[in-house]
Amino acid sequence: MANWIPLWVHKLSSPPNFYRFAGIVRPWALGLALITGAIALYGGLVLAPADYQQGDAYRIIFIHVPCAWMSLFCYGMMAVASFISLVWRIKLAEVVAMESAPIGAAFTFITLVTGSLWGKPMWGTWWTWDARLTSELVLLFLYLGVIGLYHSFEDRRQGARAAAFLALIGIINVPIVHFSVNWWNTLHQGSTIRILGPSKISGAMLWPLLTMMAATKFYYIASLFGRVRTDLLSMESGKDWVKQIAEAEGRA
Amino acid sequence: MSHAPLVSACAAVLRRDLTLAWRRRGDIVMPVLYALIVITLFPFALGPEDALLQRIAGGAVLVTMLLAMLLALDAMFRSDIEDGSLEQLILSPQPLALMLGMKILAHWITTALPLIVIAPLLAGMLHLPTAVMPVLVYALLLSTPLLSLLGAVLVALTAGTRRSGMLLALMLLPLCVPVVIFAAGAVAAAQQGLPWLAPIAWLGAALVMALVLAPLACAAALRIALDA
Amino acid sequence: MTAPDAVAPPLLEARALSFYRQDEPVFGPLDFSLHEGEVALVEGDNGSGKTTLLRILAGLLHIDEGTLTWRGKPWRREEHLGDTLFLGHHLGLKADLTARENLVVAAGLYGTRDGRSVDNVLADIGLAGYEDEPTRRLSAGQKKRAALAGLLLLPATLWLLDEPYANLDRIGIDMVNRLLEQHAAEGGAALVTSHGAVSFLHGEPKRVRMHV
Repeated sequence: MANWIPLWVHKLSSPPNFYRFAGIVRPWALGLALITGAIALYGGLVLAPADYQQGDAYRIIFIHVPCAWMSLFCYGMMAVASFISLVWRIKLAEVVAMESAPIGAAFTFITLVTGSLWGKPMWGTWWTWDARLTSELVLLFLYLGVIGLYHSFEDRRQGARAAAFLALIGIINVPIVHFSVNWWNTLHQGSTIRILGPSKISGAMLWPLLTMMAATKFYYIASLFGRVRTDLLSMESGKDWVKQIAEAEGRA
Repeated sequence: MSHAPLVSACAAVLRRDLTLAWRRRGDIVMPVLYALIVITLFPFALGPEDALLQRIAGGAVLVTMLLAMLLALDAMFRSDIEDGSLEQLILSPQPLALMLGMKILAHWITTALPLIVIAPLLAGMLHLPTAVMPVLVYALLLSTPLLSLLGAVLVALTAGTRRSGMLLALMLLPLCVPVVIFAAGAVAAAQQGLPWLAPIAWLGAALVMALVLAPLACAAALRIALDA
Repeated sequence: MTAPDAVAPPLLEARALSFYRQDEPVFGPLDFSLHEGEVALVEGDNGSGKTTLLRILAGLLHIDEGTLTWRGKPWRREEHLGDTLFLGHHLGLKADLTARENLVVAAGLYGTRDGRSVDNVLADIGLAGYEDEPTRRLSAGQKKRAALAGLLLLPATLWLLDEPYANLDRIGIDMVNRLLEQHAAEGGAALVTSHGAVSFLHGEPKRVRMHV
């Protein structure tokens, strides 16, 4: 392994160390996610004033926008971990990449659902081929492709590496899709109502939004760490450290 | 002892795949037949109204071509994996990316080229104006090699798995969205009397990029999928 | 260190070579060396990793642990592609091509040995008269011969033969042994796996034991 990687990164990336580390961090992340999420929801649904054009319908952005943001963030995390796993063959990076995919797909799905729920009062239709929603739909297919490829291999590590490669192709594809879908929208003169226009957002609307973004990040960490821990246990089931944990749990 | 020169290696791979395709001529006809069937279904589904068919002709032909190519894509490396000749290709002292490029070229010649030849006929069945035909053919000449190249990378990634038709479609969809948009966009623009050169140029640029990068990616993907 | 008359380093030397699949050890640690002019028999039970070992040495699988040297220098996949020929369970023959066409393709990729041509190796291997038959129509033994013809035709120092005796009759088995001896006499080396007991024509081969 390259020697410029700090020692602590190297140490942390060993499965037993990360398992313990993730076990400590996870409850805190989950707690923070619940608290900040509750605050953000209260701020967004109760404290923030109704929009003078959209009334209360706009309040769905407190879910929709953070999820849309996370759908891209998870893809970014997956791509970075994929790159690391392909270059240095680090098992932890493979697991992080593959376990980020379902979380990202879930955020993408929520984004699509909330987007279409919002679309009904806004545009009078559940679905419109708006550039952003369409890009988001393509993103969902990218996620599903990665997940599907990962599970179609019998050897999990090999599947992880193949899916990691697909994730990297996808990260090149995302901006191309966005560009082409924008071009396509201007060509066909579709409805071009922006979901988040350049209109000013008042502070009372902004802080719940930012808080919710923090909540989704904490949730991502908690969910990812939980999934990674399970995966590490099953992948390393033959190793001594897993046996020790199993024995300790059995005694308790 | 002498190692084979690059040119003869390329020629050997290309000639082998073309010979194999020729020995199984029936398989070449299949995608063409499939495209014909799909296009025939459109008037039955939408009604034989000329104006409507004319409006959808370009897009329908492009999507049909894409599906027909997808049908044949899965077979690109399948038999080579099953009989071990892919291993021999990987182990040969030749640049793998270039050899795979030759295989992709052979695949394009045997699956996409026949489709392009009958594309004007299919478009004619849906009353695409004759003036737009050349644009459709240009769009196909640029978009089908792109699809072959992108598809090859994905097929290579699934090389180590069981049969994977649906998975391949799922993986290819995000990659082919831009290709379809620009190819169909060029035809639509030409049909509306608008300038159509820009999308064609974008396709050309993408094709040049893919010609360089896709064989390399394909070789890397194959090594991962077969764990070499 | 640099004694001029030092023994030449072995063609291929493995030290503590191990391979894992899903973190389960497949074989190893394994130590062996192979000199030019040597033929070694890889021995082991089913599932002991014989095929895996050959696939690693061919460069189809990556090395998990241990080192591999080629003539004293670290072995690198890309540098030794032309030096090695691998004959696995799948023979690498296209069923729709004739034996001759298959060999022409292989020669196009790998090159040919001096003084050998597609037709004379097919005759040597006992496939005269079957050159233009699609491989699909050949018997299992004849297919094997067509694949073995590649060993005669293509230039390589190291042969990695996985079960070369399978599907062959007595004459075929003798022929494989003759090929191996001829190859060794020309300074080549080979690693051979086999289920059954194998008697080489002259003397005992070197043995590489896979222990689980």
